[in-house]
Amino acid sequence: MKFIDSTNFVKLIKKLTAEGELYYPFLDEETGSYHLKRASGFPLEEDFELGGYRAVEPSKGVAQHARVTVAEYPSENPDEITNPDNIIPSVVLGAKGCDVNAMKMVDKVQVEGEFTDPLYKIRRDKMFVVAADCDDCKESCFCTLLGRKPWPEDGYDLAVSKISGGYLIEAGSERGEKVLAENGKLTSEAREQQIKARDEKRQKVLARLKENNSQFPDLTGMPEKLREAINDEIWKELAKDCVECGACTNICPTCYCFLLYDRKMDGDYFRRLSNWDSCQLTGYARMAGMLNPRASLVDRVKHRFYHKYDYLVSSHDDIFCTGCGRCIDACSASIDIRDVLARIEQKVTG
Amino acid sequence: MENPYYPIDTVVEDIITETPTIKTFCLKPARPIDFKAGQFMQLTMPGIGEAPFTPSSDPNISEKMEITILKTGKVTDALHELKPGAKVGLRGPFGEGYPLDKLEGREVLVVGGGVGLAPLRALIYALLDDPSRYKKISIKYGARMPEELCFKRQYQDWKNRADNVSFQPTIDVPAEGWDGHVGLVTTLLDDLDVSIEGSYALSCGPQIMLKFVTLKLLEVGYKPPQIYLSMNRKMSCGMGKCGRCNVGQYYLCVDGPDMCYDKIKHVPNVFG
Repeated sequence: MKFIDSTNFVKLIKKLTAEGELYYPFLDEETGSYHLKRASGFPLEEDFELGGYRAVEPSKGVAQHARVTVAEYPSENPDEITNPDNIIPSVVLGAKGCDVNAMKMVDKVQVEGEFTDPLYKIRRDKMFVVAADCDDCKESCFCTLLGRKPWPEDGYDLAVSKISGGYLIEAGSERGEKVLAENGKLTSEAREQQIKARDEKRQKVLARLKENNSQFPDLTGMPEKLREAINDEIWKELAKDCVECGACTNICPTCYCFLLYDRKMDGDYFRRLSNWDSCQLTGYARMAGMLNPRASLVDRVKHRFYHKYDYLVSSHDDIFCTGCGRCIDACSASIDIRDVLARIEQKVTG
Repeated sequence: MENPYYPIDTVVEDIITETPTIKTFCLKPARPIDFKAGQFMQLTMPGIGEAPFTPSSDPNISEKMEITILKTGKVTDALHELKPGAKVGLRGPFGEGYPLDKLEGREVLVVGGGVGLAPLRALIYALLDDPSRYKKISIKYGARMPEELCFKRQYQDWKNRADNVSFQPTIDVPAEGWDGHVGLVTTLLDDLDVSIEGSYALSCGPQIMLKFVTLKLLEVGYKPPQIYLSMNRKMSCGMGKCGRCNVGQYYLCVDGPDMCYDKIKHVPNVFG
């Protein structure tokens, strides 16, 4: 474990970002929320903040752009688009425990299996993640209900914990170790007292999260319970409130669905684009001939819960919910995923 | 890194009109495409978009491919306007394909409806390649009217292929000049010429037909693990990445599109 003071930390980030782009969180004084920002260059603006809690925006857009050209046709060299040399590296600074957990989950879908989504994989390979502890939490945060922690446990290159005068810093990958080794002059050995201070901070946030969520059940056993509630009235009730805006899926760090579509350009030339999509929208599953297996909002609302808390558990071995609570904040109808799951728990277990 | 979203250049060499709304497109891709019966392709209509189709041709032939298409939406409307020589694109193959290994030594029941015989024709080619590997091959096929039956030119060949092969077509309502069976394809499943125990039934057709075929198969004694259905969902990437073709925990583009009914019977709205 090393310590790096605030001045040297900025020097380190500047070095890391020399050839790429930097995303970092800042505190918007007006709204009181943290936001993810793309740096316009160095010196870093003074507003970057690695404490606090997760930003409003998840970092998923760094690896999976909201809209991206995946093919141009006809082309002499179709693989030019997926040539790693053409993709700019990135540094994602201040990713919280929930953010790195989400990236690990989406990696399972986009990288593993018989096929790989090339652009996603290249952007992830060229992404350097500097994760950070939460030293605060939001009312909507509930990672602890899923047995997850408000600090990064793995899935990062470097992890920092904000303490007095700077940060504790440790490597979580070979790349991270290399960076620390090459920049030994910027860091010093962490003192026992500093580590103790970090641990105390962590336990304090953990306790607050548990306290905030004390009225909700543990969600790790939810998949089995949800399977029993497939025909429950609760889905109809939710559909009455849902306004079908798709905000919950767009803001969700583990939602990865996209649609490919072709845009005609000059003559025979067309461009194939990949665009984020939302299972909450009516056209999402609609087929030719207007057939739609989820034409009713009840089925679409239900689908979001089952995809995350049942189907992906079976197919990709994880509940695809980090407990970040972004969907709670984003919902215009004030639907709180914790409330919904608590009601199901109550109905199923009586 | 190879770009899996870029289609293989493909020329439409010939177009066969099967019915007033169904055409078979004979395609020549720029490089051979190996596929298994039941695997599907994403066919690009340049500038319009992509749609998924299972080839209807012999899986032993990879230099050429036939795809039989019902005119039913944006991409298929445009495809039906094409003339021989037109350029299209192909990505794939994707999916699992039919469980041919499981069928060896078994009695096999094939049930098709309308354009649903298209993917099944690839299966029929594979089965009839060496019919002696199967105990029996019984093909049942229904369409609304005689003029809506696909691949009429091949029925006699199928029937004559071997003693253990049977083919029976039906139409929904009586028609002049038709002396075959009349009634929905499910009515052909009442007095089956296969022994159900140990046999497999494979079906493809409109969702509503799949539903009633499944109910009928269960009624006559098939168990869910013996039934395979070609499922329909919206597909985009074909590679299990874009998220939309799931039936429960399965992505049809990776685990299907032919699914064992036992795996999906609990899924809400499984038949759409």
